[in-house]
Amino acid sequence: MLRKRIQPMVLQARRLYVDIMFQVMGRALQAVSEVDETVQNDARALPEGLLFEMMVMPDGPRLIVEHTGNGHFHYHGESAPRPIDLSIQFKHIAHAFLVLSFQEKTAEAFAHDRMLVDGDLSYAVRMTRVLNRLEAFILPKLIAERAVKEYPASLHLPEKLVSAARIYLKVATNFVETVRA
Amino acid sequence: MSQKYYEFFCPVKVIAGKAALEHIPYELTGLAAKRPMIITDKGVRAAGLLDPVIAACEESGLDIVSIYDDVPPDSSTSVVRDIAGIYRQEKCDAIIAVGGGSSIDTGKAVNILVSEGGDDIAKYSGAGVLKHPLKPFFVVPTTAGTGSEVTAVAVITDEKKGVKLAFTSSFLLPNAAIIDPRMTLTLPPHITAATAMDAMTHATEAFTCMAKNPLSDAYATAAVKKVSQSLLNVMDNPKDTDGRLELAQASTMAGIAFSNSMVGLVHSLGHATGAICHLPHGLCMSLYLPYVLEFNLESIREPLGELLLHLEGPEVYSATPASRRAEASISAIRKLRDQLYKRCQLPRTLKETGKVLESQLDHIAEQALDDGSIMFNPKEVTLEDAREILRRAWA
Ligand SMILES: [Fe+2]
Repeated sequence: MLRKRIQPMVLQARRLYVDIMFQVMGRALQAVSEVDETVQNDARALPEGLLFEMMVMPDGPRLIVEHTGNGHFHYHGESAPRPIDLSIQFKHIAHAFLVLSFQEKTAEAFAHDRMLVDGDLSYAVRMTRVLNRLEAFILPKLIAERAVKEYPASLHLPEKLVSAARIYLKVATNFVETVRA
Repeated sequence: MSQKYYEFFCPVKVIAGKAALEHIPYELTGLAAKRPMIITDKGVRAAGLLDPVIAACEESGLDIVSIYDDVPPDSSTSVVRDIAGIYRQEKCDAIIAVGGGSSIDTGKAVNILVSEGGDDIAKYSGAGVLKHPLKPFFVVPTTAGTGSEVTAVAVITDEKKGVKLAFTSSFLLPNAAIIDPRMTLTLPPHITAATAMDAMTHATEAFTCMAKNPLSDAYATAAVKKVSQSLLNVMDNPKDTDGRLELAQASTMAGIAFSNSMVGLVHSLGHATGAICHLPHGLCMSLYLPYVLEFNLESIREPLGELLLHLEGPEVYSATPASRRAEASISAIRKLRDQLYKRCQLPRTLKETGKVLESQLDHIAEQALDDGSIMFNPKEVTLEDAREILRRAWA
């Protein structure tokens, strides 16, 4: 009996967590793309106006960003202004949770058939690298090491602290802006 | 690790060995097919490889209704459309692809059009577009390397847009792969060597990259063992039917392994080099394999060390201290490459190919970073890493 009552709450919490992490990642993507050269270099090769989506099948939470040119991303929230160009789709919310709670690396999730790519694979490869870089930035090193294949050697502590602070600040402002809007 | 998860899928019936071709009529009849079409290329036809296939069918009273023998090395959307037209006109009801990667991919793509309808193959590109099984489809490989007979992928060039379209669906897998040693008996030495090294690379990468799993591991190690034991014998004695069959089976097994656990950086670099410098795929694989293993070494020390058993056999394996086995595996692969160089000048460095300019290395590195297979490489690769590997592979 108890199990029946508890489980929906756990499931709901998981869904909420995925929802929130998508929002944090969307905002962080936009912020990181404004300050980090490595991300910009990877993103620059994407076509201008490319809409990238990460979503949970069949119609779960999603995050949508647009490459606005020059390696910059703009976070669109959950709705896209045009049809999506590149979509990374988790097969189940449980799989999204594994990745977004940093128990499984993004590349591992691909390797484990947790998600599918719809769109140009070379763009997906670039976005995966961007996401790896992003995770290394916004997470404490200990957790980040679990989330990405390799913690970038060139990301020194002062640089990380400074960048992270700026990113958090930007994420925070963005949140505030959303609340106001 | 408790987070471990994998999927493994291979529904292809493998029909292998002596007089395997003679099973085609029975297998076709079992699928209610009466009017098969053969898709192949000029080289295969000129080498007389179609004759035993046709004879095998006719002797059982099954006529090959149509033969298309003009598949180019890089198949295109218009070729696919033309063949589909002939298939419909001749009222065919099954496809037999006889050849290497290009004929097999063309067969898969034609099967989409003749099963789903329409003339525009581009419409079906991408993953998971197909929702229904296709027409009966058999594959008879004539090279022992690509493993395309067991992969759920086809790549076709859209010549108008100048892009390569990828099609992935488990419905692309043939109903049967027919592995007959007669089909590879006349392969010239350098193609035998390059394609076998492609199979070796498929197996090695499947066994050392991120998506490795227990089932694909079993196929990968068996394939490594077969190539190691048979390749040089076949090089010295091309008419060695048993050795040829071993290599052909190794290729299929390596194909099953990598189609379930993917490949890594050797393929990313190889795909880029193939596109930019027009070098054959197998040659690129043989060339880059040791350099990439050296780059990945600390991430793959354990599985790579295990491969030594299959590369060199139990005596060498047990005589090598565990801490040195990974390095010994790389040495074994280098040794094999030296032997192949001696027998057919299969290049070991980019300089030895005579077709790559040092000024092209940066371009290759950049393109390799965009290749899908880099996602499964066990070690993260930066542009500088790729450049460094290419510098080492240069000379
Ligand atoms: Fe290959």
